[in-house]
Amino acid sequence: MSDDLTAEILRNALCVAAEEASIVVVRSAYSTFIVEGADAAAAILDVRGRLVAHSLSTAIIQCASLRSALPYVLRQFPPETMSPGEVFLLNDVYQGGIHANDLLIFRPVFVDGEPAYFTGTLIHVADLSGISAGGMASDATDVFLEGVQLPPVRIATAAGLVDDLARLLAANSRTPDRLLGDIRALIAGANVAAKRLEEIAGQYTPEGLARGIDDYLEHTESRMRSELAALPDGVYQGEYRLDDDVHGEHVIRVTVTLASGEVTVDFDGTDPQVALPINSGFSQTHGGVMYALRCYVDPSLPLNEGCFAPIDLRLPEGSLVNCTPPFPGGGRWATVAAAEEAIFAALAFPGKGVAASGILQGFSISGAERPWLHMSFDLGGLGAGAQRDGPDATGALFGGGRNIIPQVEPIEARLPVRIEEVSLIPDSGGAGRHRGGLATRTVIRLLEDARADTRGDRLTYPPPGASGGSPGRAGGYYRELADGTREPLHAKGTRQPLRRGEALVLETSGGGGYGPPGERDPEAVAKDLAEGKVTE
Amino acid sequence: MSVTLASDVGGTFTDVVLTDAGGRIHVVKTLTTPDDPTVGLLRGISQVLELAGVSPGSVQRFVHATTLATNVILERRGVTVAFVTTQGFRSMLALGRQARVEEERFDLAFSPSEPPVPLTHTFQVPERLSASGEVLVPLDEDAAAEIADRIAALDVASVAISLLHSYANPAHEQRLASIIAARLPEDVPVVVSSDVWPELGEYERSTTTLMSAYVGPVMASYLHRLGAKLTALGITAPVHVMESAGGVLPAALAASRAVYTIESGPAAGVIAAAAHGVARGFADLISFDMGGTTAKAGLVREGRPGITHEFQVGGKGSFGGRRAGTGIPIKVPAIDLAEVGSGGGSIAWVDAGTLRVGPLSAAADPGPACYGRGGVRPTVTDANLVLGYLDPGGFAEFGLSADAARAAISEYVAQPLGVSVVEAAAAIHDIANAQMSAAIHVVTVRRGIDPRGFTLVALGGAAPTHVARLAERFGIGRVLMPPYCGVGSAAGLLHADLAIERARTFLAPAATITSASSSPGPAALSEICADLETSARTDLSVDSWRVPHQEGSQVRETPRVNVVRSIGIRYIGQAHAFTVELGSGPVTRETVTLAVEEFYKRYRESYGIDLRDPVELTTVRVRVTIPAGNPADLDASNVSTPLDRSPASRSVWLDGEFVEVPVVAREECAAGTELAGPYIITEPSCSLLVPAGWRATVDARGGVLLEAS
Repeated sequence: MSDDLTAEILRNALCVAAEEASIVVVRSAYSTFIVEGADAAAAILDVRGRLVAHSLSTAIIQCASLRSALPYVLRQFPPETMSPGEVFLLNDVYQGGIHANDLLIFRPVFVDGEPAYFTGTLIHVADLSGISAGGMASDATDVFLEGVQLPPVRIATAAGLVDDLARLLAANSRTPDRLLGDIRALIAGANVAAKRLEEIAGQYTPEGLARGIDDYLEHTESRMRSELAALPDGVYQGEYRLDDDVHGEHVIRVTVTLASGEVTVDFDGTDPQVALPINSGFSQTHGGVMYALRCYVDPSLPLNEGCFAPIDLRLPEGSLVNCTPPFPGGGRWATVAAAEEAIFAALAFPGKGVAASGILQGFSISGAERPWLHMSFDLGGLGAGAQRDGPDATGALFGGGRNIIPQVEPIEARLPVRIEEVSLIPDSGGAGRHRGGLATRTVIRLLEDARADTRGDRLTYPPPGASGGSPGRAGGYYRELADGTREPLHAKGTRQPLRRGEALVLETSGGGGYGPPGERDPEAVAKDLAEGKVTE
Repeated sequence: MSVTLASDVGGTFTDVVLTDAGGRIHVVKTLTTPDDPTVGLLRGISQVLELAGVSPGSVQRFVHATTLATNVILERRGVTVAFVTTQGFRSMLALGRQARVEEERFDLAFSPSEPPVPLTHTFQVPERLSASGEVLVPLDEDAAAEIADRIAALDVASVAISLLHSYANPAHEQRLASIIAARLPEDVPVVVSSDVWPELGEYERSTTTLMSAYVGPVMASYLHRLGAKLTALGITAPVHVMESAGGVLPAALAASRAVYTIESGPAAGVIAAAAHGVARGFADLISFDMGGTTAKAGLVREGRPGITHEFQVGGKGSFGGRRAGTGIPIKVPAIDLAEVGSGGGSIAWVDAGTLRVGPLSAAADPGPACYGRGGVRPTVTDANLVLGYLDPGGFAEFGLSADAARAAISEYVAQPLGVSVVEAAAAIHDIANAQMSAAIHVVTVRRGIDPRGFTLVALGGAAPTHVARLAERFGIGRVLMPPYCGVGSAAGLLHADLAIERARTFLAPAATITSASSSPGPAALSEICADLETSARTDLSVDSWRVPHQEGSQVRETPRVNVVRSIGIRYIGQAHAFTVELGSGPVTRETVTLAVEEFYKRYRESYGIDLRDPVELTTVRVRVTIPAGNPADLDASNVSTPLDRSPASRSVWLDGEFVEVPVVAREECAAGTELAGPYIITEPSCSLLVPAGWRATVDARGGVLLEAS
C-alpha cells in the first residue's frame, strides 16, 4: 500500500478515535441538551497544545475552547507531573472555557512513559449552580452568578473520581446525580479516545504517529496559507450591532488585513465588556473568527492546528470579544455571531455578499414545584445572498442545522409540557430581490407551574438586509395567557414565571433580504404565495 | 430439493438463477429493459427454465431483488404525494431536521434542498393525542373531509398521514385515512405512520411513511405487472422481494412497505459475499459488487454484514451520502454499504482536456459501443475489451465488437487527447478503478479500518476484471471470486430468509414490569410482543402457507418459524438505548430482569461505566423469520472434464505492454488447481484478471482464491 494511503488511514483513524469519544459521551450522558439531540464535542490534541483532530459533530467554537484551554491545564499541571489515569476538568471562561455549564475534560495519553497527546471532551452539563437551573443565566451581572467556577482541577486518578471534588460539585448542583453522570460520560469518552490513540501509537510506532501528525498539520497549514494568499490583499473593515435592552447598544468592530497570505484580524474599536453575559471569552471569539475565515477558503480543509496557525488574532482585553474577571461570558453566541457578521461585512467581495441572519435563540423551562428542565434552541432565517434566497430557519453561522432541535414527541413523553405549534412564520423573511429565510414560531403550553429563561439577540434590531434588501421580521419571547393574549418576556431574562395553562411563545427573527424588493422575479413571488411563505 | 428461481434486475443486466430439484444451478444473464423491466426479466426466466429443462409450474419459490425503489427516490420519479399531519405542524417536513455538514457549513451561498413534499401539498388537521395515546382533541371530521376534498383537487397518486403520538394510539390516523380514502379514487393508497413505523419521533416516522407513499404505487404497479406475466407463463410460486436488511418479503407487502426494499439489490450482494466467505472460513470480508451502472462496497465483520438504522436517502457528506442528518431519514433497518455511480457502462468523455469517466452510463440501452446495439460512446467495458481483459466471444446473448470499441474510444477520447487508443483505454480503466476504490474507501479507510486484513469478494459481471487492481490499491492480499460470480447478487438471494420485523414504542420504567407489586407487570409487554408477532406472521402469511408438495398438488403446512423478540433498554433520563434480546418463552418478570442485567453488562462493556441506575424500556421489536429452508449451496458442480490441453491465450495489456496471457475457464479447472499470474480465468459472463504477482487457487466449491505472492 502506498505511503499516501497509509497516511490517510492514520488521519482517518485519529478522526474516528475522536468520533468514538463523542459517541460514547452522547450515549452515556444525562444532560438535557445531549439527550434531545445536540452532540458532544471531542478532540485530540498534542502535548504542545496543537489541535490534531476532532469529531464530526464538534462545532468550531468547541474545538477552539478545547484548544485554548489545554495550555492552562498544562500550566497548572506540568506534563512531567501527570500520572496515567489522571483526568483534568475546567470551565473557566478566562482560561479558554466557555461558561460554567460547559465542562471540558482532558486526559493525557502516555507514549513511552510521557504524556504525548491529550483527548478532550466537552458538553453542556445538566446543572452546576448559578441563578438559572440549567445554566442559561442571561441576566447574570458577574461570572459567579453563572455557576461554580472551575480552574483546571484533577477530577480523576487511576483509582477513579476524586471523591472530595465530586462531592463538592454534586453539592452545588440542582441535579447532583445527573451532573456526576455527565462527568462520568465525559471521562468515558476521553478514555475511549485515549485507548484508541494508544493502539494507533502501537500500530504506527510512536515516531510514525508523531511524524504522521506533523505531516498532516503541516500539509493543512500550507494549503490554508495558499488559499488565504488567493484572496485580494487589502485592509477591510466591518461592524455589527448587538441588542441590549438594559445598557443601550453595543458594536463589534473588526479590521481584517490580508497581505499575501498573512492575515490579521483585529477587533480594536469594539465596545467594552458589560455586566451582562453578552460578552465572549477569547476562545469563543477565536472560534467565530475561524468559522468566518473558513467561509473564504477551500471548505474541505480539515480543521486542525494548520488552520489556526496563519491567523494573527488581536482581541482587546476587557472588550466584548475578550472578557476579563468578573465579567460573565455565558451568552457569548450573540457576540460571536456579531463578530462573524462583521467579518462577512468587511469581506463582502463581489458575489460573496450576504444579508444578516436570524440566529440561534435559546430558552430553558424549569419546574417551579419539582425539578425538571427543558432546554433548547430555535433557529432564525438566514440572510439572502447575491445568488439565492435565504434558507428558512437553518443553522446560521456556527450553528449546525436543525438536527439540534428536539422533536416534539420525546419531549412530551418526558416533561409536563405540550407543544402546540412549530411553524414557519409567513412574511418573516426580509424582502429583496432575494428574500431572507423565514423564522419560526414555537408554542409550548405548561402543564405545571414553571419558570423560563431566555437568551435572544437580533430581536430589537432585526437582521438588516444588504444591497437594498429589507430587514427580516424581529422575533421575540412571549407569555401567552390562557385567554390567548400575549405579553412580551425579556429577551435576556431568567426565572420568568409561567403558570400552568400558560404558554411560552418563542419567535425567531427572519433573515435580511438582498437587493431591491422591486427586482424580485414574479415567479418566485408566485411560488412564495402558493406555499404561504408570503401572504401578499 | 425445491426448485427456486432468483433474479436481480440491475441497471444494465438482469440476472436469473435457478436451482433445480437435483440442486444444480443454472444461470442466465440478459439485458435489462429499462422501460419495462418485466420484459427482460421474463425473457431471462424463460431462458433459464429452458436451459434447466424445468416446467414453469414446478417452480416453488421466486425471489426477486430490484433497485426500483432506490432509483425512484434518487431520480425523484416517485408519485405525487399529499402529506397530512397534526394542526400546528404543517411546517414539519419543510423545516426538517437537517444538519449542515462539512463543506456546506462554510458555504455562504448554502441553499438546502427542496422539502420532500412541497408546502402546497401539506395539510394539518385539528386533533391531538397525548404521549400516552389519550385523546386530548378529538379528530375534527368535518375539517378532515374538507382536507380530503382539497387533496382530491390536487390529483395526487398517494397520501401519507403522520399524526403526533400515533405510535401510542393509531385510532385518529385510521379514521382520518378512511375519511380521506373515501373521497379519493380507489387506486390512491393512503399510508399511515402507525402502520409503517410506529415509533416515537415524529420526523423520522413521517419521512419513513412519506417515502413509502412515494415509492409504493410505483412498486405495486411493477409487482402487479410482474405477477400477471409470471402467471401467464405458468409460474404460480409465491414472489418474494429482497428487503434492505437481508431478508425477503412477500410481494404484497413489498408494495405496501416499499421503503423496506430500498437497498434490495445491493443487500443481496453483501449477503452473498458473507455466505461465500464464511463457507471458506473467512469472516472479515469486503464485498465488491460491480455491475454495469454502479459499484457497491459492503463490510462483513465476523461473518455478519453491518446493519444500520440511520439510513438516509439523498444525503450529503462524505459517507457515501449516508451522513446522519443530511438526507431524508428512513428508519427501517438496512445493510450498511457505500455505492458509487461507476460501472462497466460508465461513459468516458473529455471535459476541457481532462478525461472523465461517468457518471452517465450507457446502461442496457444503447449499451457500450462493443455491444453493437447502437451505443457509440466509449465505456469502461469498451476499454476493458480493447485491453484484452474481456473475451470478444462475449457474454449474455451477444458477442463483443473490439472494432466498435476501438472506434468509440478513438473518436471520443484518444483523438481529443492526442493519445493512442490503447493509452486512452488504459487511462479509462485506471480512472474507473480509482472511482470504485472510493466505495471501498468509505467503508474502510474513512472509518479508520485498515482493509489489509480483509478478503475482497468480487461479485457482478464487471468486478473480476477490476478486483485484483483494487486489492493492490489497498494492499489487500486476498481476493475471492465465487462461482457464478457474474450473477452473484441473484445467487445470494437463494440464501435469504423470509423475514419481517415489526416494532412499536413502549415507554415504561423497567420496574413497572419486574417488580412484583406494580402494574402493569409483564402482561402489558407480553401483549405487545404477541400483537407484533401476530402482525408479522400475518404479513408473512405464515398461517396460510402453502408448500407445493409435488407437481400439481399442494398441501397446507405451517412452516418452521423463528421468532426473535427484543427490547430497547436505557437509563432513565438518557436518550440512547441498547436493543437486548428477550429470552424465548412467555414474557415474565424473570425474562425482563435478565434482559436488564444484559443491558447493564453491555453498557459497562461499551462505555466502561459501571452503573445500576433505574432503566426504562423503549421499543419492542419482533422479527419473524421463515428460514430459506435448505438453500442449494452455491457450490459449482464438480469438474467433469479437467483441462487436458494447453490453455488458449490472448494478448492482454499489463503494466504498459501487451503480453500473451493464458486463458482458462474455471469450469475446466479441477479443485486444487494453482495458476500463477498473469492469467485470465473465465466464469460465464466474466473474466478474472490475475495480474503478475498473484497466485490463483481453484477450490473444491468452484471458487477462485487469489493471493498476493
